[in-house]
Amino acid sequence: MSESNKPKKKTRYINPYLGGVLLGLVLIAANFVSGRGLGASGAAKSVMVATVNTVAPEHAENALFYSEYNASHPEGPMKAWLVFQMLGVIVGAFLSGAIFNRLKFKVEHSPKITSRRRIIFAVLGGILFGFGSQLGRGCTSGSALSGMGVLSLGGFISMAFIFGTAFALAWFFRKNWI
Amino acid sequence: MGPLIINDIISQNTNFFLAFLIGIGFGFVLESSGFSSSRKLAGVFYGYDTVVLKVFFTAAIVAMLGLLFMSLFNWIDLDMVYINPTYLWSTIIGGAIMGAGFITGGFCPGTSFCAASIGKIDALFFIGGMFIGIAIFAEAYPLLEPFFKGSFRGTPTLPQALGFKDGVVVLGIIVVALGMFWVGEWAEKKFPREEY
Amino acid sequence: MKPRIYLALIIVPLGLILAAVPANTTHPYKLSPEDLLEYVNSGMQYFSPDEVAHMLVNKDPSLVLIDVRSEDEYDKFHLPGAINIPLASMLEEQWKDYLNQDLRYNVFYSNGTVNSNQAWMLTRQLGYENNYVLQGGLNFWVETIMNPTEPSSTSPVEEIAKYDFRKGASQALGGGSVVESSKQPAPDLPKIAPRPKKKRVEGGC
Repeated sequence: MSESNKPKKKTRYINPYLGGVLLGLVLIAANFVSGRGLGASGAAKSVMVATVNTVAPEHAENALFYSEYNASHPEGPMKAWLVFQMLGVIVGAFLSGAIFNRLKFKVEHSPKITSRRRIIFAVLGGILFGFGSQLGRGCTSGSALSGMGVLSLGGFISMAFIFGTAFALAWFFRKNWI
Repeated sequence: MGPLIINDIISQNTNFFLAFLIGIGFGFVLESSGFSSSRKLAGVFYGYDTVVLKVFFTAAIVAMLGLLFMSLFNWIDLDMVYINPTYLWSTIIGGAIMGAGFITGGFCPGTSFCAASIGKIDALFFIGGMFIGIAIFAEAYPLLEPFFKGSFRGTPTLPQALGFKDGVVVLGIIVVALGMFWVGEWAEKKFPREEY
Repeated sequence: MKPRIYLALIIVPLGLILAAVPANTTHPYKLSPEDLLEYVNSGMQYFSPDEVAHMLVNKDPSLVLIDVRSEDEYDKFHLPGAINIPLASMLEEQWKDYLNQDLRYNVFYSNGTVNSNQAWMLTRQLGYENNYVLQGGLNFWVETIMNPTEPSSTSPVEEIAKYDFRKGASQALGGGSVVESSKQPAPDLPKIAPRPKKKRVEGGC
């Protein structure tokens, strides 16, 4: 396999600093319009509660987690700012993928590991993140990014611990990525 | 005078519609910066791709500068803007668990939705895992509730906690962030990895 | 030029400006002149003597009477449970937490209504809510509550009921005699931070 024949595949991404500036502008817009920052895990929570409401309504009444959420959202769990924002995220990402020609079904993994291993780790990571984001009241977008944007102490703590822990554990997972 | 929703300048339905538009902007920027690729996201922890660092901190700084300047010109009332409450221990432990999830799965919730919408199958599994994780939390909630609601510190801001003015803290963060950008560029040159 | 340098050149000066400039602390709580006129014309800031007497008799904890006259006048006679915040010293730091709170009703009173209304206007334009004025002041209070006029036997039932209530209230509140001039300590208010209006409650990221 000669290196010179294979073209260096470089996906077109925008300059990260430009991306950062644009994201900052989006965050300012969100604060200006709705007085709050962006978010993601809250939308997943809304979907979860809505699912449980339809599939197992008695459990929704009995379990504290669901009943609390339903009590604070009298118009239904899906009528929340974050749900609408998340729908927009999906559309926006799709648009960007379409423009930059990145729409493709694939499992992205390092050539050194199998697809299956990647998927198992993705599920594990998802479980950890789902649990952690509920406990931490936010994920990187909602708590860390939006929190830092308004200089909230909770945001900085969140940021520090998410990235700090990931850095600390990075060595153990290096086989998956590099 | 912002925030628009507080002063009833826009209705709740307009608010939701604008949330949709803001989400489009959010998703577009995330995806076009490369946050739909788990490999790029994990790159910051190994040095070969520090896009997360750059985008994150630039966005935070732009937002801080923007909001504080807007407040100076009385375009927004910062007392009305939502500030994350600080529940000390649940944030710390939750953050640690999320960090583990990040390095394992290579996504965070927002980016996983982006990646899923352009067809990444591992992102779909990540989202599935997220729902399982939320369900586990919901079941364990009665046990966790005192911990979850404990150690409430109010809604302090970093300048309040440090005792400096807002502008001074922002300047400090800018300096730190610029330092990190330089380190990031150096790291990218030192630890390059083939893209796949 | 590398994008990084561009970025640094923009954000560092902006950060320096922010660090140097004092923060903006003006808050738009004031009523516009038209709103204020409408408010005072409708008399929304008034508490009638009957209402106040009712709350006093029931020992309603949500009521705080504030005597805006001078200290001497307060010592001579004041309504039961009232604290003394003279109008002249109303802007002092020590009274801020009593005047700017959202726990109880502060009802200003003076001999007539001029001074208490002045106190009300002052605090309203500072953005403090939950402050009211005793209608008619002490003069009216003494006329109606302390020495109620007995209605004739042909008056409607409500009049007689009102008279009975006032008679009972005046006895409960010390009758027509002067209240003891002991300087009553101002009620303990919890230290409340100046409260911003409803915050956007959007929890859970």
